[in-house]
Amino acid sequence: MSGRARLATLVGVGVTALPAVLPHPFVLTIATQAAIWALLAASWDLLSGYTGQISFGHAGFFALGAYAAAAATKHAGVSPWLGLLLGAALGAAVGLLTGFPALRLRGHYLALVTLGLAEIIRLVATNWLDLTGGPFGIHDFRSFPGLPEGAIAHRQAMYVLVVAIVAGSVAIMYGICERTTAGKAFRAIREDEVLAQTLGIDTTRYKLLAFALSSGFAGLAGGLYAYYIQLVSPVVASAATTSLVIGMVVFGGLGTLWGPVLGALLLYGLYEGLRFVGVVYNLIAVGFVIMVFVIFFPRGLAGRGRSA
Amino acid sequence: MLESLLEFVIQGLVLGGLYALFAVGLSLIFGVLDVINVAHGEFFAIGGYLAFAAVVLLHLPGVVGVLGAAAGTFLLGLCMYPLLIAPLRRRLAGRPQAPLYLVLTLGLSTFLQSSLLAVAGGDYLRVPPQVAGILDLDVTAVSYQRLLVLGAATVLLTLLFAFLRLHPEGLAVRAVSLNPEAAQAMGINLSRIFALTLGLGVALAGVGGALMAPLFNVYPAVGFPLTIKAFAITILGGMGNPVGALVASFLVSLAESLSVMVIPSQWQNLIAFAVMIVMLLLRPQGLLGRGVSR
Repeated sequence: MSGRARLATLVGVGVTALPAVLPHPFVLTIATQAAIWALLAASWDLLSGYTGQISFGHAGFFALGAYAAAAATKHAGVSPWLGLLLGAALGAAVGLLTGFPALRLRGHYLALVTLGLAEIIRLVATNWLDLTGGPFGIHDFRSFPGLPEGAIAHRQAMYVLVVAIVAGSVAIMYGICERTTAGKAFRAIREDEVLAQTLGIDTTRYKLLAFALSSGFAGLAGGLYAYYIQLVSPVVASAATTSLVIGMVVFGGLGTLWGPVLGALLLYGLYEGLRFVGVVYNLIAVGFVIMVFVIFFPRGLAGRGRSA
Repeated sequence: MLESLLEFVIQGLVLGGLYALFAVGLSLIFGVLDVINVAHGEFFAIGGYLAFAAVVLLHLPGVVGVLGAAAGTFLLGLCMYPLLIAPLRRRLAGRPQAPLYLVLTLGLSTFLQSSLLAVAGGDYLRVPPQVAGILDLDVTAVSYQRLLVLGAATVLLTLLFAFLRLHPEGLAVRAVSLNPEAAQAMGINLSRIFALTLGLGVALAGVGGALMAPLFNVYPAVGFPLTIKAFAITILGGMGNPVGALVASFLVSLAESLSVMVIPSQWQNLIAFAVMIVMLLLRPQGLLGRGVSR
């Protein structure tokens, strides 16, 4: 077992053990949200870090999942379990649709289109009052049934549930990226798309696969967010969400999957911790971390000690 | 019918002036540096805050506020190259990793926006108009402030295009935009041109911010929606093509203001993005662009 993998396991075990060691509502809330962000960061990394297709629209896929789950449960009484799947499915479907024009676009253009897509989703969420509740969002809907009633016990159960789903999802993404030919194709597309094509790799298929997987897991993260926070408003789809996620991935290390998970846990901890200093300093720190890491530590925390 | 049509056209032209100030700078920066400045809107906000500081806090005349905004954002833009872009460029050493610049300026955008929030607070600040009064056109009325925005945009952009065509430094900017290696071989100092372009580009946004402050109010996130819309406009006009950006600014602003006659006004912000996506699918090089997409 390499040193880095050991570190990742250690952090994983540490995080999972947290609710047992510190059963405080605040700690549990932060830890649960950090886990949701970890899933979103990992999903961004699959598309942008592994496959090199930079998306500025993950706030949009996340919001789609959150709105789909919340609206289905509120308006149609759909079970939250089904709501999660619905969120993931809608995210994947829209991601796949975005993937088609994206086949013709690279670098800058793709980032701008996905940013525009997220903005469209935000505008629709703000203005489609009947379905989305407008600027105030959707609230007062059921969460997962059968969880314990007590304040702490409920949070603990929710935490375990979220961490289990997140860990499972990240493991699936890791498996796909590291153990299958698809993962190799993703990296080949990132390094040199033309060469990959010349070598007989079906780049169209694998790019669409990366889009669908990434946006699907982003939608799943959105669903988890909806059932945990119990409020979904258009702010979720704002560019600040995308900025935070990209910050987490850059902090943790692009193209490693476990780096972004680590980055999300640490940066979200820092983000919430800085609220005690002053509520505006957390985003200043996020912006600063993004700039410093992009310029000086491009491999993030995961790549410490390796040459760039 | 005709009256409201005329009114919407005038509104569209004023809005187009603002879009043009914003998008031409963005497009110029992209053409020369190959960097999409996600933080462009934050310079618009800084321009507004500088105007507020000069006029409301220091009781200086409005024109000083506009000039201060231009100078302040120009200096910030000059610093942006050596502090942020150049270090990343050196590390990448010529490898094409354009998306990393997007991530970098996204970080700058978040950093600047939250810093403004920390320094100035989140309140909507009011700035008195640089010119008071309303021009009565019989069918409709326009405030002089709106006409000032359009007039200033016309003058500044004319000056910019004259500078790019006639002045030696402006010619150097265009040379770098066409072929950086050849320009460098001809003795043009690339770092200097890059810094100058960033300074000029963001100063246009800064002036826009100062002029729009009386119409929009000033708050930290005031510029970000404009940045996203300006991306759509620059794609429509052809990336890195300032003239195309100018034309596209007025096309989008007129489409937006006239759309109010057909669709509910809260949806008008969708138009630019819908146009952008259609454009990228059909003609990714833009209206005035040439050659293949990058």
